[in-house]
This record gives sequence, C-alpha cells and structure tokens, in this order.
Amino acid sequence: MSIEDRRSALARLVAGGVAIVGAGLTALVGLVAAPRRREAARRWRRALSMFDLPANRPGAAVLTDRVSDGWYETRTETVVYLDREGEGYRALLSTCTHLGCRVVWDDGAREYRCPCHGGAYDREGRVVAGPPPRPLDRVAVRVNPQTFDLEVEL
Amino acid sequence: MTTRGRGLADWLDDRVGSRHLRRLILDEPLPAGTAWWFTTGSVLLFGLGVQIVTGIALALYYAPTPDHAWDSVSHITREVRGGAFVRGLHYWGASLMVVAIVVHLLRVVFFGSYRKPRELNWIVGLVLLHVVLAFGLTGYLLPWDQRAYWATVVTINISKLAPLVGDWVASVLRGGPDVGALTLTRWYALHVVVLPATVVGLVAFHLYLMRRQGISGPITPQPGRSELFFPWQAARDLTVVGVVALVLAVLAWRGAPALEPPADPASTDYIPRPEWYFLGFFQLLKYFPGRWEAVGALLVPGLALAWLVFLPWLDRGRSRQPRDRRGVLLVFSAGLAAVTTLTVLGARDRPRASAGEWNLRELAGAALIDDDERCTACHGPDRAAPPVQPGRITRPATWLNAHVDDPLVIAPGLREPPTSIQADTLALRAALARLRSGPPPVHDAPTRHLHVLLNRFCLNCHKIGGVGGTDGPDLSTAGLKFSADQVEQRIIDPKSVKADAEMPALGDKISAEDIRLIAAWVAARK
Repeated sequence: MSIEDRRSALARLVAGGVAIVGAGLTALVGLVAAPRRREAARRWRRALSMFDLPANRPGAAVLTDRVSDGWYETRTETVVYLDREGEGYRALLSTCTHLGCRVVWDDGAREYRCPCHGGAYDREGRVVAGPPPRPLDRVAVRVNPQTFDLEVEL
Repeated sequence: MTTRGRGLADWLDDRVGSRHLRRLILDEPLPAGTAWWFTTGSVLLFGLGVQIVTGIALALYYAPTPDHAWDSVSHITREVRGGAFVRGLHYWGASLMVVAIVVHLLRVVFFGSYRKPRELNWIVGLVLLHVVLAFGLTGYLLPWDQRAYWATVVTINISKLAPLVGDWVASVLRGGPDVGALTLTRWYALHVVVLPATVVGLVAFHLYLMRRQGISGPITPQPGRSELFFPWQAARDLTVVGVVALVLAVLAWRGAPALEPPADPASTDYIPRPEWYFLGFFQLLKYFPGRWEAVGALLVPGLALAWLVFLPWLDRGRSRQPRDRRGVLLVFSAGLAAVTTLTVLGARDRPRASAGEWNLRELAGAALIDDDERCTACHGPDRAAPPVQPGRITRPATWLNAHVDDPLVIAPGLREPPTSIQADTLALRAALARLRSGPPPVHDAPTRHLHVLLNRFCLNCHKIGGVGGTDGPDLSTAGLKFSADQVEQRIIDPKSVKADAEMPALGDKISAEDIRLIAAWVAARK
C-alpha cells in the first residue's frame, strides 16, 4: 500500500467520521423535536340543554377540556354548533375545513361564515362559497333522556 | 494618533492583523459609477443590527409560555424603561427588513446583477428573503394575542398541505396536540436561536461571495477608475442608513400597534388578519377552492420562487441593459404587479376595526366585576381573592373563561358557587379581555347598573352599537322611531303593541323602575 493510498484512505475515514458525528447530532435534534403522538379519547359530554337551543338557528356550545400541553396544564375550548335536523339533531364542529379558523353562524345570510378566507357553509354544513375543501365536520350527537341535555361525542 | 495609541494599534495588529482586516473590509474596490443604488445592502445590514439588538433587549423580559407571554409583552410596553420604544423598533424594524429586502431584490433584478458569475449569491439572497419572512412569521406568534394565535393556526394548516411530509411538518411545528404551550416554545426557539444563527451564517456567506466576485456596478460600465468603498461609498451608505434610521425612530417613537386581546381559541367575534407582508398570500388563498387549495398555498408561490431561482440561467445574454432583457423584466414586473394587487386587495378586506370604545357588553362586564356580589364576594381588598386590577391580569384567556363560567372549577373550596347567567358570563369574558390593556371608562353606579341590565335583557337578541344578537332589530338608533313610553310598553308586553311579536314579555322579569331606566336609555339612541 503506497503512502498516497494510505492518505486517501485516511481522508475518507476522517470524512466518514465527520459525517457520522453530523448525522448523530441531527438525529438527536430530530428525536427531541418530533412530538409524541397521543390520540385523545372520545367521550360523550354535555353540550347544551335541549331547551337552550334557539328556535330557528343553530346554537353554539363551548366545550372545555383540561389537557396537558407539555409541562403546562391548560384548557382547550372547542365550539360546536347544534341544530335541529328532522326529528333529531346535528352537531357541526366550528373549525373551518380550509385552514382552521373559527366559523360563525351569520343569521342574516343564514349560513356559516369563516372570517379568514371567505369560506361559507349552509345550515347543514355544506360548502356554498369560498375555498373550503369539504363540509364542516360532523360530531355525533344524542339526547340524554334524563336531563334533556344534548350530548356530543368529542 | 498619540504614541500610546499607535503603540496599542501596533500591539493589536501584531496579534490580530487588525490593519489588514481594516483594509480588507474598507478598501473594497468598486467599479466606477457605483452610487446610491448600491446602498440597499447596507440598509439591510443596519436593519439586521437593529433587530438583533432590540431582540436581545426584548428577550430580557419576554416569557415564552401561554400564561405569561401576553403579559410579559404588555409589561415591556408599559413598564420597562424605554420598553415601548424598543418594541416599536423591533416591530417596525421587521417591516423595514421586508421593505428593504424587496428594494434590494428589485435593484438586483433591474440591474441584472444576478448574472454569471453571481448566480449562487442570487440564490443565497432568495434564501435570505425567506429567512426574513420566517422571522416575521415566528415573531408575531410570540405576543400570544389573537392575531398571533390565528396566524399560527393557519400557518400550521398550510404546512399540512405539503405532499408526503405535510402532516409530519405540521406536527413538528405544533409540538403538542393543539397550538399551545409547546408550539410557543418551538417558535420561540426558531425565532431566537435557529433563524438568527441561519441569518448570520448566510449573510456572512452572501458578503463573502459579494467580495469575492466584486459588485456588479452600474448597468453600463462607466469610464474612469474604480474607487475604494471607503470613504465615498461608505458615506453614501451612511447617509441612506441615517435617513432610514430617522424614519424608523419616528415610527418606533409612536410605538408598535397595541396588542390585540390575548389568544382565545373559543372567541367567535374575532376576525383574523395577518401582518401586511403576508396579506398578498392571504388573499391568494381565497381563490383556490376545495382540492385546489394546495395550488394556491404551495404551487403558485413555489413556481414563482423556482422562476426566480433559475433567473440567472433564463437570462444569460451579454447586455445587462433593461431593453435587452425585456422578456425577463416583463415577467418579473407582472409578478410584482400581481403581488402588489393581491396585497392591496387583502388590505382592503378588513371587516371592521377591533379596538376602540368599550361596547355595552364590555361595559356590563366591567360593572359586574365592580358591583356584583358574585364577583365582589371573593375579589376585593382583604378578600379571599385579589381585586381585579386593569392592566394587571395575568391569567390566560382560557383560564379566565373557565373561571367566569364556573368559579368553582378553578377555585376549589369556594363556599358557594355563584349561579351563572349566560349573558353575564359573556360580558365578563369580554370585559376581562379588555381590562388587560387598561381600565374601563368611568361611570356612576346607576349607569353601571343600567349596562348590566341592557346586557342581560336586551343584547341576547338585539344589537346595540355593534354588539348583541340578531334575532331582534338593531336598537342602535331606536330613539329615532320610539319614545321612552313606547319602548317601555314594548318591554313590559310586546304583544300588547304587536300581536305577533316574538319578543318575550319582560314585565315580570325586570322591576318597573329598571324598565323605565332601560326605556329612557334606548329612546335616547339617535
């Protein structure tokens, strides 16, 4: 083995070592930065009393959850719109399916309006205008026969 | 120079090579005719310096957690000596960076400075443009106000649209299950560690390449000898920087715009709008419905960027004269016009101003905090809980909302949970959001009582002064149509005036005296 061969082998070795150190550090950052995945369990919970549902428009219910957000205990608030549907009820998540802003029921226009990019949905949650790619997400809803509360599964 | 000074300079030169370094930096040879247009880079360096220094100053006080971020920024603005000015400099400095980098880019494009051999430096510049925008985006999350929260929600949802890696990128940017504490620390780390390191490295490389290749100089080479950067060009740079600094100082002196209310994911009356330099992009998103969403959010900007990246290879003629580069300049100008138009359209789509006078609901909430037994039982001097002090509220919006919904939830062991009235709860939420930034207007006790009544019995269905329900007619100008007596009659028993009235009779729910108060007030709305 000539001197040149040994030199170039050593050079490759050094380059490889540097690459390994770099890759190790990158992997470490990646390991820490990748968030843990945890699926929140769904459960039935009270949204609104049947009697508090407005006569001729959807009623908004704010559902509060205590969640742990890292070291921090906080509350998340989800707004659900409840409405009559035939004999039963429907519940729509107020999160715009476009980019996640909070849609609001506009009683004048009789539709849900998103304040961000102009999305609009009809009372059933179907897209009638703007960029949303799909209807508002539906949430399962039932009536609690004892309390007459509307309960949603969320 | 004194002998001692010279001695020191020699000593330093011996060890550092400071004279060589000084010559290296200042004796940059410039082509003849280099003048004012070549000061744009120095303005950017100045802006970067301002952002670094003011950023360090802000970091001394800022706390990147959801329960303290808003308050720490508010504290900086209101109580730190020079804090409002420093935050103003940082805020307007961010806008300056965007404006200056666009001007710099325009100069480079119209002078054809991106041409061979400067292709790589052109690309480094484009990366820097995006780093500056990333600074803006991560920076305006940090105050944790409404704008910050919703801009972040939208940004993270946009990142989801990226093919294959979208969901992963979004979850890394979000950190936790929702936009929250873990998101804030991540964006803080990006803003104060990752991006500054990136920008310093890239700027150093940009300057190194600029010096290695020399600056491109005037479009038409000028006769005459090349001159050195110092002192003439340095003086020009300093002049422009001085003017820019003056403008920046005046803007900062007036302060950064007031903080918006703290982030409140459940609020339904907030209308999110991004910072001005993202308005064009914001407007673009509206035009791509349904599954074309990714086209507007990623493909169109991506193609525009790709065109810019390949510009040095698309335009490789000999002459740098604009008239010989018509095609390229036409495409560029069209793109520029499109961005400008979108930005203007986006800016005009502002449904209404948020701050301003306290509305009725907020006034009612403030009155409840002052007067209502359910609040004063615990909050007050020498009581179980501290008095509610305007400007010194330290709890996050979600905590406050839960607290006014049901104080027991948050204050266990409370003797008697107050009964909550939906209308009062809304008013308290609204008032607490406003009280963060300052005290309510002063009203006497009867007026405060009236505000509570109006909020509790009228605003559910009627709008007054822009706030309230839409089931009944807007009462903001009801006095034009009705006298106090007529209003009173309608409150006591609406059906006695109009048989098919949907309004419930309130005669047995409110005392006669209170009804007279309400009627007189409503009749005065003209």
